[in-house]
Amino acid sequence: MSTRPSHPPRDTDTHLPMEPVAQPGYYPDYDVISQQNAWDDATRKVVLSRLQSRPSLQFFNPAEAEMMLLVCDHIIPQDDRDADHRIEIIPVIDERLHKKRTAGYRYETMPPDDEAYRLFLQALDLMSRHNHGKQFSGLSWREQELILQSINKGKPLEGAGEVWLRLPVHQIWTLFVGDCITAYYQHPWSWNEIGFGGPAYPRAYIRLERGEAEPWERDENRYDWEAPPESVSDLDELSHHDHFPHLTKGGVHD
Amino acid sequence: MQKLRAEGSQFTDRGTVDYVIVGVGSAGGVLLQRLARAGFKVLGLEAGPFWDTEKDWLSDEAGSNKLYWEDLRITGGVNPISLGANNSGKGVGGGSVHWAAFTPRLHPSDFQVYSLDGVGTNWPISYEDLKPYYELLELEMPVSGPAWFPWGDPHGYAYGPHPLGEVGDVLVRGCTKLGIRVCAGGPVAILAGSHDDRPHCIYRGYCIQGCKVGAKASTLITHVPDALRHGAEIRDYSMASRIALGPNNRVEGVFYFDREGTERFQRAKAVIVAGYAIETPRLLLNSACPEYPMGLANSSDTVGRYLMVQAGNVILGRFRNLVRMYKAPPAHALTEEFYETDPKRDFARGFAIQTVGPLPIAFGKQMMAAMGAWGWGLRRVMMDYNHWSALGLLGEILPWHANRVTLAKETDQFGIPVAHVHFNLFDNDKKLIEFGKNKVMEVMSAAGAEQVVQEQRYAHLVGAARMGADPGTSVVDKFGRTHDVPNLFICDGSIMPTQGSANPGLTIQALAARTADYLIMQGERIFRSDLRELTAPTPRVDLSPAGTFRKGIPRPHASWIFSRRIAHAKA
Ligand SMILES: Cc1cc2nc3c(=O)[nH]c(=O)nc-3n(C[C@H](O)[C@H](O)[C@H](O)COP(=O)(O)OP(=O)(O)OC[C@H]3O[C@@H](n4cnc5c(N)ncnc54)[C@H](O)[C@@H]3O)c2cc1C
Ligand code: SF4
Repeated sequence: MSTRPSHPPRDTDTHLPMEPVAQPGYYPDYDVISQQNAWDDATRKVVLSRLQSRPSLQFFNPAEAEMMLLVCDHIIPQDDRDADHRIEIIPVIDERLHKKRTAGYRYETMPPDDEAYRLFLQALDLMSRHNHGKQFSGLSWREQELILQSINKGKPLEGAGEVWLRLPVHQIWTLFVGDCITAYYQHPWSWNEIGFGGPAYPRAYIRLERGEAEPWERDENRYDWEAPPESVSDLDELSHHDHFPHLTKGGVHD
Repeated sequence: MQKLRAEGSQFTDRGTVDYVIVGVGSAGGVLLQRLARAGFKVLGLEAGPFWDTEKDWLSDEAGSNKLYWEDLRITGGVNPISLGANNSGKGVGGGSVHWAAFTPRLHPSDFQVYSLDGVGTNWPISYEDLKPYYELLELEMPVSGPAWFPWGDPHGYAYGPHPLGEVGDVLVRGCTKLGIRVCAGGPVAILAGSHDDRPHCIYRGYCIQGCKVGAKASTLITHVPDALRHGAEIRDYSMASRIALGPNNRVEGVFYFDREGTERFQRAKAVIVAGYAIETPRLLLNSACPEYPMGLANSSDTVGRYLMVQAGNVILGRFRNLVRMYKAPPAHALTEEFYETDPKRDFARGFAIQTVGPLPIAFGKQMMAAMGAWGWGLRRVMMDYNHWSALGLLGEILPWHANRVTLAKETDQFGIPVAHVHFNLFDNDKKLIEFGKNKVMEVMSAAGAEQVVQEQRYAHLVGAARMGADPGTSVVDKFGRTHDVPNLFICDGSIMPTQGSANPGLTIQALAARTADYLIMQGERIFRSDLRELTAPTPRVDLSPAGTFRKGIPRPHASWIFSRRIAHAKA
């Protein structure tokens, strides 16, 4: 894992790469885990277990796991986190697929989840070969980023047309990115990053209005940053996105 | 929180019980409680677990998946709906374990949509038929809400409202700016003050993950304990696979798989299916037999049809100030100002606007859908989680013949064919969603949001075994008795012919209390006679769980309870 290429975000003023830190985000000294004594036993056990490293992978084979690592670094980049504070995403997805846990439904146009994941990885390699003559892992970070961006936009670069017949682009993207979101934002480190209060039973929240912090929460302390120049996933890149509905007055009828 | 116990098994497979209820959810819990109190031998078969809330439930988003129906279902059509966590529960309490607990009533107009608007269908009952049961269930859960609720049949709530969270504040601000009436602090089945052995809400915001505190009503804590005290039995991890039809066109009992996966059979004098809008039709279709080759009680080819979801677009607004929408119950303020048909609009029926409070994972997925967020953009917008507020559209989608549940070729872990759900939006639905979502975006902007985005989604399920007066176009009569089989009943969200723009849970429980009164009034006749008596029962006020009826402070417009009180005082 230590050999992963690094593409850290930049300081908006200097445009220089920012040093990776233990805790990115606007709540620098907020530590939700320090509140664990205020949580109930069952919740504490489950939340703290996420700090342990997970058992080895059972669904993905080593080659797939390597590719998953690359892809997840684009879907949820963590180059602002230091090596000791990266949140593991693949083991969470691996466990779900291995135990065949589903969301309780499958789109009629989609294969079962395990098959869908494997087809998706195949599609990435097919697109890479078609456009660059190499497999996905051999592409530059920027090239990988552009392939994924094309899928997010629902207009995948050429090369995997056959796969998309069996794997609707929008549905697999939603499944994949959704699983990554579930894995990352269940981790208490991510709660520190976004200033989420986390478990509150039996203690309760008492300051409900105006976004005020509980005595043990932190106020926000913002800083500016920009995505690395080789990335195309920051919010401003989305303004051409098909389903980016900024409120336009023209769309409102009374 | 209070201690719950499942009594040991008292009925055996070889014995015959009076009623088997399939599914102990919102409706099943109320039925079980009423019938047990009235002295019937009643058994609930529940596919999921009997929860030990302190051990099993968490203050955690990702860890709460087990509350939902996670077994396979196939979903399709032009506008496929997501299932699982989005609309179906599993385990004693069913959907009431993970509902947000908004409890508005339907409006009187909802019962005659076809007569008034020429769309959808009429109910075989009126608002007045259900009103006494609304009033009862509002006390049994109980419901906290404002002293004055101005829409539909105006009324007030006997238990006080909740304080506002910032999301509620956003709704009140936006509506006020636009001159839209809004109501805050309920109606929601969450305790604002302690009630018997149940503590009040602690505003921790994990309602949809199951309320570990015990402040939010679920039939697991409101009705099931009373049912068990009165001799009901619940068999958990018991998945009904087929209802058996015997001679003389009467059902004899239910086949089910127990927790070891062994198939067993429970005899019963009558069966009530309460498995909700997907599992109920699935069970009936899987119970096809020579007499009913298209599915049990499906001579009308209506089982599975007219399935509905509500438009549930989530509108998200970013504010300069912090919001922290994880605090307070997601359900705590709403407006029904746009509920009724407005001839000035180009569609029939309407919608409500309600607070929602997505936790981080749900919010992240909404940002993926609404903004196409991924990569650094996703990380960035998530770092702003505390600046976002969310409001939900709740719009009426009409019942359509083509929207239906059938059987898929895939099977579940027991080998039972799973449900296939087919769903399309039609013209009226699309116009309503477009108008409604824009209105909510307008409210969000008026509240001061500097950026507003939205995700199209759906909430709740009803229909697929609808009630009606005509056996050719409906599955059950106005008391939930199937038109085809005299001792087979359906009582859950699937019998609703239309859905209005009110969350369905209160109506589902009110319908269950009414069906129970009917069954109790009919007594032994249900088990022996094929005669279909259609006179409505007198509402029974003596069957409420202990300590609920006549509690709270009645409001002047809770007219029925008020008159009962006076009658009681005179007696
Ligand atoms: C996230 C979420 C939020 C919601 N919020 C609200 C809200 O704020 N207000 C509101 O009114 N509604 C809300 N709802 C909807 C509400 O929960 C449901 O409409 C309601 O619970 C349905 O009641 P029911 O009795 O028809 O079915 P359920 O409560 O779903 O009960 C059905 C039960 O039957 C069991 N079952 C099914 N098939 C079988 C079988 N074959 N054998 C044995 N058991 C079986 C299931 O396990 C389940 O326990 C929400 C739902 C969700 C998912
Ligand atoms: S907000 Fe209140 S009702 Fe909801 S889970 Fe927390 S304590 Fe229960």
